[in-house]
Amino acid sequence: MLTVGDVFTSYGMIKALNGVTLSASEGEITCLLGPNGAGKTTLMFTIAGILRAQAGSIKFDGQSIERLSAAKVVEAGIALVPENRLVFPTMSVEENLEAGAFIRVAKDRAGVDDDIERMYMRFPVLKERREQMAGTLSGGEQQMLALARALMSRPRILLMDEPSVGLAPLIVEDIFQIIRDVNADGMTILLVEQNANMALSVADKFYLLEHGRVTFEGAPGELEQDEVIRRAYLGTE
Amino acid sequence: MSDYVVSVVSNMGMIAFIALSAYILLVIGEISFGQQAYFGIGAYISGVLTAMWGWPLWLAMVLGCAVAGSAALIIGSLTLRLSGIYFAIATLSFAEMIRLGLLSVHVQVEIDGELVGPEGAEGFGDIRWIFENDVTPFEFMTVIYVLLVGVLTILFWVERSRLGTVIRMVGSDPLLAQAQGIDVVFYRLLATVFAGIIAGLGGSLYAHFATYIEPNVFNVMLGVHSLAYGLIGGLGTAVGPLIGVGLDIGFLEGVRVFQGYRMIAFGGLVAVLLIFMPRGILDEERVHRIKRWLERS
Amino acid sequence: MAIERELFAKMVDFVQNCIDGIMIGAAYGLLAIGFTIIFGVMRRLNLSFGPSIMLGAFFGTWAFLTLNAAPWMVLAITIAGTVITGIYVERLCFWAIRRDATIASMVSSFAIWMQLDEVAILMLPGRTYPFPEMFVSGGLNFGPFFVRAEHLVTLLVTILMVVGIRLLLYRTTFGLALRAVSESSDAAKYMGINPSRITFLAFILVSLIGGVAGYLLLATDQQVTPYFGLWVTFKGLIAMMLGGMGSIPGAIIGGLVLGIIETQTQWYLGNAFKDMSAYVVLFLALVLRPGGLLGQGIAERQDLAFRRV
Repeated sequence: MLTVGDVFTSYGMIKALNGVTLSASEGEITCLLGPNGAGKTTLMFTIAGILRAQAGSIKFDGQSIERLSAAKVVEAGIALVPENRLVFPTMSVEENLEAGAFIRVAKDRAGVDDDIERMYMRFPVLKERREQMAGTLSGGEQQMLALARALMSRPRILLMDEPSVGLAPLIVEDIFQIIRDVNADGMTILLVEQNANMALSVADKFYLLEHGRVTFEGAPGELEQDEVIRRAYLGTE
Repeated sequence: MSDYVVSVVSNMGMIAFIALSAYILLVIGEISFGQQAYFGIGAYISGVLTAMWGWPLWLAMVLGCAVAGSAALIIGSLTLRLSGIYFAIATLSFAEMIRLGLLSVHVQVEIDGELVGPEGAEGFGDIRWIFENDVTPFEFMTVIYVLLVGVLTILFWVERSRLGTVIRMVGSDPLLAQAQGIDVVFYRLLATVFAGIIAGLGGSLYAHFATYIEPNVFNVMLGVHSLAYGLIGGLGTAVGPLIGVGLDIGFLEGVRVFQGYRMIAFGGLVAVLLIFMPRGILDEERVHRIKRWLERS
Repeated sequence: MAIERELFAKMVDFVQNCIDGIMIGAAYGLLAIGFTIIFGVMRRLNLSFGPSIMLGAFFGTWAFLTLNAAPWMVLAITIAGTVITGIYVERLCFWAIRRDATIASMVSSFAIWMQLDEVAILMLPGRTYPFPEMFVSGGLNFGPFFVRAEHLVTLLVTILMVVGIRLLLYRTTFGLALRAVSESSDAAKYMGINPSRITFLAFILVSLIGGVAGYLLLATDQQVTPYFGLWVTFKGLIAMMLGGMGSIPGAIIGGLVLGIIETQTQWYLGNAFKDMSAYVVLFLALVLRPGGLLGQGIAERQDLAFRRV
């Protein structure tokens, strides 16, 4: 569904991606593991159109998207759940959801309202807090809101950047259960995670990214779990 | 040198002081719209001392700087918690308070049958120390530049020492600096007071060069100009603000082509420059590269 | 009896000052809204806001003097001139400069201010020009109080505009996008919102607001000078900072407070203290309560962000 072919991206003078190739299949959860600075977030930003790839191709459903602006990428059906949630802190929960549906709210008001109700069914805690400022939610609630907000654009693939960052272990369990549920409804997910244990428990396929390159790809279990975790945290030196 | 050239060059020298003052605050990470207040304080205090009380110039200047530095200390302490636009507007308010306050200061004494002293909006004339002591404009210009070189020497020395590194650290990330055990409050105040003293020095020179001052000379336009000079010239080195001053007063004043369109030319030039060099001509990166190049050759 | 009458007369003066203050303050509030919207979407300060309005008003005056334009034409030309100048400033000082170079943008907007001043002087080289009065003049008496017609128009237009701005911000997609960009331009980008497009549109909106506010102020004073730019920038900034940045009600309250402080001090202490008082109050407000009178300021937002991480 999403294929990334030999992508190179730089941050100013620093090369962050050195020819990354990977693919995410429809209906699956694909995980991207790797140590800090391996280029995971850069890859997410490159797919989402926030950073430009210097070379390489990104195809979504056969359509080339590497030249599209961030707005066009969202319209193509790719939604990003950013690291650290980045909810709109002084807007209410409901307004955050509306903002998530920005690309279609003008054309399809009724559909957006339906979707908001649907999000409230899936995340009842958000319904309780619908009028509350998003910045006052707990970390876990904010992560749910960020996820719901991304779903509001009706994406066909969800890019999730470190959903477990800064959350208590119990909350992380909840979030991953939600990820499983969303995936069970047919959502394709590309997940970047530091928490290799959790990630491998939901992944259909995973990639190891080190120094801006894919150094391993396979299904969970194909590589010794300890080895994956070691390399995910420390890389191979 | 013709009188005109001497006056332009002297002007550049005096404005350089306030430009350096604004630059020091930019280095500690704050935008000040209010350095003209210290310039004005220096001018008024030293002017009163020489013209009304007959003090020698050097002593009047020392006291002018001391008062400006103390004012900077007070304002610096009050605004410690502020940063960014809050700091900028607080300094602006203070400077405007000083300017508007000076508008209602009427203290005059009779000297040789003439009234001398600040007369509100009418200004403060007859600061005649350089006439009374037979100092030619050229000599006074030399004094200005000797003092400017002195200030620059201090700044260069600081820049090369550990103190300079510490101050740049406080400027780029105060929280990190604090975490490193640096006394952020102390260094911030140190830089603020030094900046106040330099501006006061420039102001006290200005009062005696111009022989006439009025509160509206020290309006916010002067402050924003001095801020702009640092940013045009670059924040990487103390030479930066001087380049800014030279470009505005020296170059554009000198090139008569722009007569009548000077601000359109200067404004456009600065706007385009900032698009390509958002941290000025000599920013930190370029200064670093030049230093490396100098060391190699 | 006499004492009572004196007391009553004093009360009347005080209330009359408040009324005048509110009328002037309403226009200050509009200017503050302009600043707060732009600062919200860009996190950068546009010093040229006032000078753009000044230049727009100079176009209006020019049309009045040379073409004998009617008041409504002057209004239209002032607004159009402000919008065009606003777009020029946005492209040159904000769009073209990297988003994180906040000081560069501010200094650039100051450099352009110098340009706009000179353009105004080249267009009309005298210092002071008459500005045509409004459609209405005279005034109304309410018991012992008197309200100038121009002031009443200013107040009514301000109320209408504030209601309109509120509807625009909270009931339209553009408003949603504008608020989203103000909260976090990164997150807004991930939602498919284009922050530079929103910034551009915000500049047009703000220039419209500023053009109207400028017209109201000048038609009340019936004269215009190049200093009007400086005056507008600082009145707007002070009102915004007094009320607390990032909030429309704050901007209005800041404007009203500023207007009342000015008229009261002018009445009781004289003209010399009118401007002084505003700066003293602002300085104290900043030092004692950095978030502004109505506190949805940056300081509080940063607090919120810290608690979140």
